[in-house]
Amino acid sequence: MRGFTGIIIALLVVAAPAGAADFKGGLLSPPRPAADFTLTTQDGKEFRLGRERGKVVALWFGYTFCPDVCPTTLADLVQAQQALGKDADRFRIVLVTVDPERDTPARLREYVKAFGGSFTAVTGTPERLAEARKAYGVVAEKRVVPGTSATYLIDHSAFVYVVDPTGQLRLMFPFGMSVPDMVHDIKRLLQ
Amino acid sequence: MRRTLRFVAIGTATGFLLAGAVAGPTARAQAQSIQASNAWARRAPAMGGMGKMDKMGKMGGDKGGMSGMGGTGAVYVTLSNAGSQADALVSASSDAAQTVELHEVKNEGGVMKMRPVSAIPVPAGGKAELKPGGYHIMLMGLKHDLKPGEKVGVTLKFEHGGEVRVEAPVR
Repeated sequence: MRGFTGIIIALLVVAAPAGAADFKGGLLSPPRPAADFTLTTQDGKEFRLGRERGKVVALWFGYTFCPDVCPTTLADLVQAQQALGKDADRFRIVLVTVDPERDTPARLREYVKAFGGSFTAVTGTPERLAEARKAYGVVAEKRVVPGTSATYLIDHSAFVYVVDPTGQLRLMFPFGMSVPDMVHDIKRLLQ
Repeated sequence: MRRTLRFVAIGTATGFLLAGAVAGPTARAQAQSIQASNAWARRAPAMGGMGKMDKMGKMGGDKGGMSGMGGTGAVYVTLSNAGSQADALVSASSDAAQTVELHEVKNEGGVMKMRPVSAIPVPAGGKAELKPGGYHIMLMGLKHDLKPGEKVGVTLKFEHGGEVRVEAPVR
């Protein structure tokens, strides 16, 4: 809860025009160390955020059953990655599932493959995933909704959390931010 | 400049093709006023094709997407209503999926909430834009992968305008 409040305050701070003009996304001011976590990739390997120093990491908390917001954001991030050219390998996109029940590594593997293998998808125990969400102030609530044949849907936060090469959480991209704006911000963080 | 002109020409040709596609046989009488344009579908994996029928005609592991284990997809389209009567998209069907629903996504304070809707209004003389972060046609229990370069056929059913068929390119 404290983390969430912190982020809200940070967003309010960046809403002010002064100082944030250099970035298109929401700037966390001051930056804070990105909470570390260790989860399992779609290939069954260990992923530890703290080992990604030297890269910009975009964290997206979503799920594969989500047909609209998640693939839209991931496709935009992949496009941004392609636009980075020679710096593309210094930008890592990570989908952290909010739906470990359905998102098995096998399912995540197929999902990543459909996007050309350009990002990493991670899962873990419900407890570990909940800890990671809490650290970033991410909301994910399972809903059984009448009027759909889906067993359940998940309401979830729709920000991309951007970690700089030194491991500081620096930016939050709101849903629908344009690809050129993402590229602009990522390039700045890579400078 | 030449490139721009060519692009416009292709765009116009696509427009004609789409206009041709929407006037399906079932719709000819009533659907004059509804036009569908800019249809597209997001690439998506079938997730093991669990929406597929097996040889015995039984459903695969997913039971038509009921368990939520099959692949999902979204189709977007712009609907224009040239008529003087308000209309609404009330359902959609597709051979590509076991279940097709109309959904709306709302951003409430940074939290995205997706919910089914019974209709998507298309006002008289106006339009409804189905796009990411708003309305979409949700495909559940995909029978095959939706791959870029392919097309997804979707039949749209309107409250007054009959049926309109669209071929949505996957991208």
